[in-house]
Amino acid sequence: MSRIGVFICHCGENISRTVDVERVAAQIGKLPGVAFSTDYKYMCSDPGQNLLKKAIQEQKLSHVVVAACSPRMHEKTFRKAVEAAGLNPFLCEMANIREHCSWVHENKEEATVKAIEIVGMMVERVKKNRVLPSITVPITKRSLVIGGGIAGIQAALDIADCGHEVILVEREPSIGGHMAQLSETFPTLDCSQCIMTPKMVDVANHPKIKLYTYSEIELVEGYIGNFQVTIKKRARSVDEDKCTGCGVCMTKCPQKKIPNKFDMNIGMRTAIYVPFPQAVPNTPVIDRDNCTKFKTGKCGVCQKVCGPGAVDFEQEDQLIVEAVGAIVVATGFDLYSIAEKPKGSPIKGYGEFGHGKIPDVIDGMTFERLASASGPTGGKILRPSDGKEPKQIVFIQCIGSRAREKGISYCSKVCCMYTAKHTMLYHHKVHDGQAYVFFMDARTPGKSYDEFWRRSIEEEEAVYIRGMVSRLYQKGDKIVVMGSDIAVGVQVEIEADMVVLATAIQPQKGADSLAQKLGISYDKYHFYSEAHAKLRPVECATAGIYLAGACQGPKDIPETVSQASAAAAKVMTLFSKDQLEREPIVARVREAGCVGCFACKKVCAYGAVEEKEIRDRQGNLIKVVAYVNPGVCGGCGTCQATCPSKSVELDGYTDEQIVAMIEAL
Amino acid sequence: MKKKKMIISQETMDIDFVRKVEALSDTSVRRCFQCGKCSAGCPMATFMEHPPNRVVRLLQLGQWRRIIEGRSIWYCASCETCSTRCPNKVHLASIMDALRKLSWDADGPSKESYVQLANKLFLQNIRTYGRQYEMRLAAVFNVKSGQFLKDLMLGPKLIAKGKLKMFHSKNKNMTEIEKIFSRIEEMRKKGEAL
Repeated sequence: MSRIGVFICHCGENISRTVDVERVAAQIGKLPGVAFSTDYKYMCSDPGQNLLKKAIQEQKLSHVVVAACSPRMHEKTFRKAVEAAGLNPFLCEMANIREHCSWVHENKEEATVKAIEIVGMMVERVKKNRVLPSITVPITKRSLVIGGGIAGIQAALDIADCGHEVILVEREPSIGGHMAQLSETFPTLDCSQCIMTPKMVDVANHPKIKLYTYSEIELVEGYIGNFQVTIKKRARSVDEDKCTGCGVCMTKCPQKKIPNKFDMNIGMRTAIYVPFPQAVPNTPVIDRDNCTKFKTGKCGVCQKVCGPGAVDFEQEDQLIVEAVGAIVVATGFDLYSIAEKPKGSPIKGYGEFGHGKIPDVIDGMTFERLASASGPTGGKILRPSDGKEPKQIVFIQCIGSRAREKGISYCSKVCCMYTAKHTMLYHHKVHDGQAYVFFMDARTPGKSYDEFWRRSIEEEEAVYIRGMVSRLYQKGDKIVVMGSDIAVGVQVEIEADMVVLATAIQPQKGADSLAQKLGISYDKYHFYSEAHAKLRPVECATAGIYLAGACQGPKDIPETVSQASAAAAKVMTLFSKDQLEREPIVARVREAGCVGCFACKKVCAYGAVEEKEIRDRQGNLIKVVAYVNPGVCGGCGTCQATCPSKSVELDGYTDEQIVAMIEAL
Repeated sequence: MKKKKMIISQETMDIDFVRKVEALSDTSVRRCFQCGKCSAGCPMATFMEHPPNRVVRLLQLGQWRRIIEGRSIWYCASCETCSTRCPNKVHLASIMDALRKLSWDADGPSKESYVQLANKLFLQNIRTYGRQYEMRLAAVFNVKSGQFLKDLMLGPKLIAKGKLKMFHSKNKNMTEIEKIFSRIEEMRKKGEAL
């Protein structure tokens, strides 16, 4: 026979104003199994909790019901108190007579009757509560960082500096990401390379960081603390251990006219190449699609000239398996392309801006490469068509962004600031030129950001014209920009030498397929979703996976770095313990009843359901049943609701408990 | 009024004129971000074809001719509400003042308002008589502006009240008056005055 203790809280006057708490305590005290029933002004206060602990010991209580506020508020408080008094914390339940009763009713008589029913239900329920032992999961204290841009680099360095091993995987031949492509950065105009390359070198030299470039994630298995990741290391055709990075192979390569993606295809590279001189690692890659040796079998000049003999045409892709405990996803962004879109894409192009076919209409990143001292023009602003210096340059903001009809409704956040920066860089480099900006709104929230934008107008003489451009067309060697100044209310026409479009930020290509491998969710644009927009902004709903940077949504560098450090801090929190303790509210499969239909596996949002083989003593397979991994289970109960044979139950929310509550009504 | 399309280039943006306005009014038009507060509080804005914020915007684009051609600067009552309330410390009342001053020499001044004509005749009178000779001012203004019968019926009333004299009286010290005018002319030539 259970000896249940019931404690009714007044919550000051919050409950006792509308509920006759003494009557509730007296009524409940008469129920079978209730050994002790009392009321107190503030149960959550120190004396209140002591009253609870004392009663458990003196009355030898077996179960406890606290009738007070919502369990969201104080369930943890009372379960802790119960545990301190020597009972299993899961033998304590809360009856919510504040939010569900006193706050929403006015009639004291009716509210009191309802309160008695609520508490009565919980008394019947708690009789069926079982002792739940806490669940512990071992943690592999290594982490995987996917993406070697500034987000991935920052997260990897922070985790590695705390002494834990990091595996950094980058798809391109060098780490650095988009930040390495930028010329100067707002709002301080410090050179991007100057602040980026030291961090890249730190990554390469850090004893705790294992770097895989030119590699991709093939497969992710396991769960928080215990992931198994398969990495596909693509064949570089150059032995990283032997290569000294002398660069002779690149100077001798006969294929010299391959557009360099790093320079937004305005600069050229060879078939054996490093994307940029400061690349980390400084080991070249052979682009097999463009290499004469791979296309025709002849050439092989690079192999002949390589002193250390590092060039290896036979090299093959490798699959490497790494065990990690946490994953930071930092895959970054890609830019909206104004070129004509392939059929079937939900995102429309801009026919009115020439679909990318007017040679001197470029995007913002191309302008960055033109302005960059290490870029293809050595930092001179020159037109791609004829190499002349543009004297009239027009910048147009919100290309792709904030255009629902074109397929994207969000603001790309960084364009207002980088366009302001572009006008400054242009003014510094072309003194007799004039920059014009067509904009809809200037969005400059951020430390020193608005001041920066105002400076581009007030000191650097950029002319900002509020109003979107309707159309661009080529006229001789000029580009006619047709817009309007909505402050004056008249149409505006400018004959420009060059036009720069601030194209939208989109998630990296293949973001969706990576998300499916990781088992994390993403929005309709394929940006990764955080667990809670405000309170858990760096964690995925899937435990043990964290987000950093623009893969989650458009972000500038300071925000990306902050989030990367935050993700690293979350990883460190996880690694601070040897074992992971979890609330034992998890699903459990009754194997005798399970028929192995795996309907539960299909609906599980956490990927917690596994297949388990049941064998007899001779080792013959009897059947395959579902098994819920307690380390991964989120305790949502969807499997319980789905199971056709009622063979899955969520501990703490069993059918027996719920039925007992209903019957008590 | 038909609105002309603006063709913007370094040639069509007369930044030198804007610099003069800025120097005269001791304020920067580039500071303005078009919040519209000046126009919101302007008691005369309803009479202007370019409300105060647009006057600044046109200056930012170097399109001062569009302002001078209109009557906005002459409707400004110099109440300074705009300057007092501006969040960016753009002294719009001073800009209006500067524009009025600069419009003296700018070709193609306001044809609609005849303000320039009135101003010129007013000063001519002072130079000739040393004081105002209203009868002549009214008559010449009516003839030159082509509005022969304008305010004609007011004449008898004003004469009856002794407000309008049939004949002029001359200032006794005309040499001093002439000195003032010629000095200003000299200064204007040297660029020391407007």
